[in-house]
Amino acid sequence: MKTIEVRKSITAANDALAHELRSQFTRHGILVLNLIASPGAGKTALIEKTIARLGAAVSIKVVEGDPYTHLDSQRVIRAGAQSIQINTEGGCHLDAQMVGRAVDRFDLDQTDLLIIENVGNLLCPAAWDLGQDATVVVASLAEGADKPLKYPEAFTRAQVVVINKIDLEPHLPVTTAELRRNALTVNPELTVFEVSCLHSTGLDSWCQWIRDRIATKK
Amino acid sequence: MHEEPYTQAMLDLALKKSGGKKISEIRLEVGRFSAIVPASVEVFFRHLSAGTPAQGARLVFHSVPVTLTCTVCQKVLTLEIPPDAPVRPALGTALGRGCTCGEKKLKVSGGLGFDLIGLTVA
Repeated sequence: MKTIEVRKSITAANDALAHELRSQFTRHGILVLNLIASPGAGKTALIEKTIARLGAAVSIKVVEGDPYTHLDSQRVIRAGAQSIQINTEGGCHLDAQMVGRAVDRFDLDQTDLLIIENVGNLLCPAAWDLGQDATVVVASLAEGADKPLKYPEAFTRAQVVVINKIDLEPHLPVTTAELRRNALTVNPELTVFEVSCLHSTGLDSWCQWIRDRIATKK
Repeated sequence: MHEEPYTQAMLDLALKKSGGKKISEIRLEVGRFSAIVPASVEVFFRHLSAGTPAQGARLVFHSVPVTLTCTVCQKVLTLEIPPDAPVRPALGTALGRGCTCGEKKLKVSGGLGFDLIGLTVA
């Protein structure tokens, strides 16, 4: 019998691939965002609105993660960006290998912004590094203000929270301020944006943040 | 069900490190805040390891506590949560209480991981 010391993260192989991807994205000067949310929070809507506002000046590519359908990539393509759909066949998150295979099909020399829409799930997607510059949680006000406290995994690992559906506040027993406060309680270093994708409000500061981040990558 | 890809990754890493030898024990550290359920890992491991040198290996889980680091004074607080108690309410209480320095700017700094610590091989 022999004992072997390992002391490595279970996701070490994924982390190594993600590191390679990050180097590749950096070489091409691409800003990469990993969007995480529960189903229906508005990840795809935020991407559509971002393409509408930035698409003329910024070359945007989108990797879409979904268990089975192509519905999201079809929406993104209709919005005007090139998109590749990954179907995880029931898997609950994307990993670096899936993303690597997808981005091989993009012309990275003609890309400023790569948005990766992860599978709708607030538990494990944030634990799998995809080579992104920032993890962005989209939190819809309609989900309630307590989600950062109930599913802190994603909020803890994120750098940005986009609170969506703020237009519903008059009709809900929760406030945007409560959701913002709970997100910052779980992770005080979060940058928070408040938007309504339906009414196209609050998107200026989100898009300006993206522009500023792209500028740092060039 | 999300333990399946974690278990596959753990098995792949163990097989790589064992150099093809028969594995009798795999020692793991599971963060209390990792959202990994050891019983589910056991179930997936039985299926995924079948026919490999890891088949029949004993999985030994060690729990790693959640730690919070104050982003103002850098103090590290370790949450003492009983093994059978849920993590989230205790975490919420601790975050709400804040640091002993009086600030409420705590960040989760430990207890999120799932690590392979070591193997015993034939």
